[in-house]
Amino acid sequence: MTNQPVAQLLQTLEDQVEAHITDAVKIFQNLSAEQLLKPATDGGWSIAQCLWHLNSYGDYYLPKIKSGLDETHPANANFKSTWLGNYFISIMRPGEKMKKYKAFKNHIPPVQMDAHTVVAEFIQQQEQLLNYLKQARQNDMNLIRIPISILSWMKLKLGDVFQFIIAHDERHLLQAKRNLATK
Amino acid sequence: MMPNPYVPLKQMATTFQSLSEEEWNDFSSIWTECSARRKEQLTVAGEREKYLYFVIEGIQRVYYFDDKDREATMVFTYAPSFGGVLDSLLMQQPSKYSYETLTPSKFLRASSQDLHALMERYVAIEKLVRKGVTTSLSGVMDRLVELQCYSAEERFRKLLQRSPHILQLIPHKYLANYIGIDATNFSKLINSVRI
Repeated sequence: MTNQPVAQLLQTLEDQVEAHITDAVKIFQNLSAEQLLKPATDGGWSIAQCLWHLNSYGDYYLPKIKSGLDETHPANANFKSTWLGNYFISIMRPGEKMKKYKAFKNHIPPVQMDAHTVVAEFIQQQEQLLNYLKQARQNDMNLIRIPISILSWMKLKLGDVFQFIIAHDERHLLQAKRNLATK
Repeated sequence: MMPNPYVPLKQMATTFQSLSEEEWNDFSSIWTECSARRKEQLTVAGEREKYLYFVIEGIQRVYYFDDKDREATMVFTYAPSFGGVLDSLLMQQPSKYSYETLTPSKFLRASSQDLHALMERYVAIEKLVRKGVTTSLSGVMDRLVELQCYSAEERFRKLLQRSPHILQLIPHKYLANYIGIDATNFSKLINSVRI
């Protein structure tokens, strides 16, 4: 894996999170509960279910990232993905040949929920994530390691965790937005 | 090309007070452009307000937050208007409130020292600031009445009247906080008012 300049990496990630918040603020929070809870035409998840699923990852990762950032290391201008980190990011990243994965238990959304609370929680988490990306500039994303949600003995570098979560967000927001095309 | 941000500044300034060429030249020279991402704390409670802002783009808020987690969104600012914690700026005392961006934002800003120096030098600039502050005082008084007398639904309608696009621009939790209702009641309110 090659070294990446941290400034550029974080800027790209912040831009993606910004775009995700914009979608939620412009579109999702203004839909009715009925629109948010309507299942996809292929029987897949509703918009609220996609966001609930993302929140369940945020519930796990955000507190871990916060305590990771409590360790103070001198700022490092470069970040280097591990092989494993890169693998997880690449399978999550939406692309042309996107493979479907089954959601892990604890991350499978219910059918009924308070949809607006779920949207609000999603926005809250994204604002938190932006804040952590900013803090990461003064730290070293190579040295902070976070246990992953599905295998708690396996740890990834903070820089890889950020990229993984944001690619995962991107994937399910695209899925959520496909529900908008079919009214 | 970006539109020249000094054009709306001049327009806004001269609605409060007409300025001679010399006064405008000196006044316009104290401003510099700056930008901020979403959720950046421009002024933190406990610090003195260092700048007067003029908003070019984006939405910001002045808010109160305490150790009991109580939060009050007092003012939203957006283009074209002045921003910052005005009482701290003019009294030169530590601010009880914070000023943060709620969306990516662009500003012109002038330092407190430069502004105070020009207010000393030119009566017209002192008047300009006084009229600006009086206008915002008037807005604060209107809002006190709304908060004490109006129902949640009336406050909500009033907000949409003043800022029709705001529902699509910032997270609803800040709007709910501004009109003093619970975030869950806010989504119910939207549905009832729309029908």
